[in-house]
Amino acid sequence: MSVTRTLAITGFLVAFLLVAVVEVLARRERSKIPTLGELVGFVMRYEVGQLPVGRIAVFGFWWWVGWHFFAR
Amino acid sequence: MEQPSEIAVRDTPTWDRPIVLIPSFVLLSAIGGLFPSFSLPANLYVLAVGGTMLWLGLSGRLPRRPAPRRLDRAAAWWLLPALTLAAVELATFIGGSTYHSPTLSLLSDPVLESYLARAALYFGWLTAFWGLVRR
Repeated sequence: MSVTRTLAITGFLVAFLLVAVVEVLARRERSKIPTLGELVGFVMRYEVGQLPVGRIAVFGFWWWVGWHFFAR
Repeated sequence: MEQPSEIAVRDTPTWDRPIVLIPSFVLLSAIGGLFPSFSLPANLYVLAVGGTMLWLGLSGRLPRRPAPRRLDRAAAWWLLPALTLAAVELATFIGGSTYHSPTLSLLSDPVLESYLARAALYFGWLTAFWGLVRR
């Protein structure tokens, strides 16, 4: 395995590990860090006029993720 | 004015409970796992399932969990994993998305060739999508 491949795989693993670490820190009692769910919920509240831009953007992104990994 | 809890319970559809949803998602995932990437059925299926979720999420027919009105500055901690992921993905993409510089999707391809892994990840995607619908 080449060095660059190893670095890439390690980088992705570190990123996912960081997600888990921040989520655990957020779930501690009296933590000021929002959980991932709260963060996403906050983003989804964003509206422009009557248009739920945040919801559309988050749904669109997650739909694209599914299409990208399972269909493309 | 706050809605009385009895009305809120009555407004929740009868199918909106784990004993119905989890087997449904397992079934949908078991079917979704059957279709190989780049096939027409895989495209149509993910469009149909995702489209249904999108419609449910935008229709306002389902109760939603309350979301925070503002976030503390400590929310910036989430930039750490987000920027790390973005940096690695961008670097590997610029590197050509090859064996020596694999993007996340290139790394996931061999995993997704296995039916069980594909169906399990489909289940994760669906469950997370449902979580978003209820946000």
